[in-house]
Amino acid sequence: MKQIMAIIRINKINATKKALNDAGITSFTATGRVLGRGKGLVDYRLLDGAKAGHTEAIAQLGQGPRLVPKRQLIVVVSDDWVESTVRAIIGANQTGNPGDGKIFVTPVSEAIRVRTGEKAEGASGGTVLDSSGGLP
Amino acid sequence: MIMIKAVVRPEKADSVLEALLEAGYSAVTKIPVFGRGKQRGLKVGEIHYDELPKEMLLFVVPDIDKEFVLKTVLESARTGPGHFGDGKVFVIPVEEVYTISSGVKEV
Repeated sequence: MKQIMAIIRINKINATKKALNDAGITSFTATGRVLGRGKGLVDYRLLDGAKAGHTEAIAQLGQGPRLVPKRQLIVVVSDDWVESTVRAIIGANQTGNPGDGKIFVTPVSEAIRVRTGEKAEGASGGTVLDSSGGLP
Repeated sequence: MIMIKAVVRPEKADSVLEALLEAGYSAVTKIPVFGRGKQRGLKVGEIHYDELPKEMLLFVVPDIDKEFVLKTVLESARTGPGHFGDGKVFVIPVEEVYTISSGVKEV
């Protein structure tokens, strides 16, 4: 099993939910607002200036890092679903501009359904991730 | 790549971010969380605080930068000689990273 964590634009959450639904992935966790920054917000000339001791550069850096609000989406799927999930998220979120977000894929060793206590280990989520076994 | 998940004091989050920005690691996600640790919360007089506010910081960095980023986070998140409640750092393997704007797989 894999956990797919996506950091996406706030206004894209509904489009992403729809895209995941269309791809056949119904279960996921979405958090509220998270804050973040990416590669784009660093001005390396400013950093070099601060290292060289220019007070203007240091003053600008001293305002503290600026963080942009984003939404975080967590999907746990079995191994063979990873590619289609990633493609659905990219398809719904891609505008081509910096700030569209990132997707991280991390391994999950075990999944347990709380209601019944059934367990799944390894590559396939088995009945735990299979939503058809749940309530309608 | 690895994900470094640091749970730090809210007032120390900015200094961690600044230290890493100066070291050239700009990308980060910050999430406000609540939790308790080994000390089972905090007791001030009669009042017992079960869950304390913290900030969770997520960094995804290449494997070779792990030691340096860990050192930077630990040093900048510590209060004075180090106290209970300074937080914890977890390291998680990341198998794939995608940039949405280009759709390119980075690892």
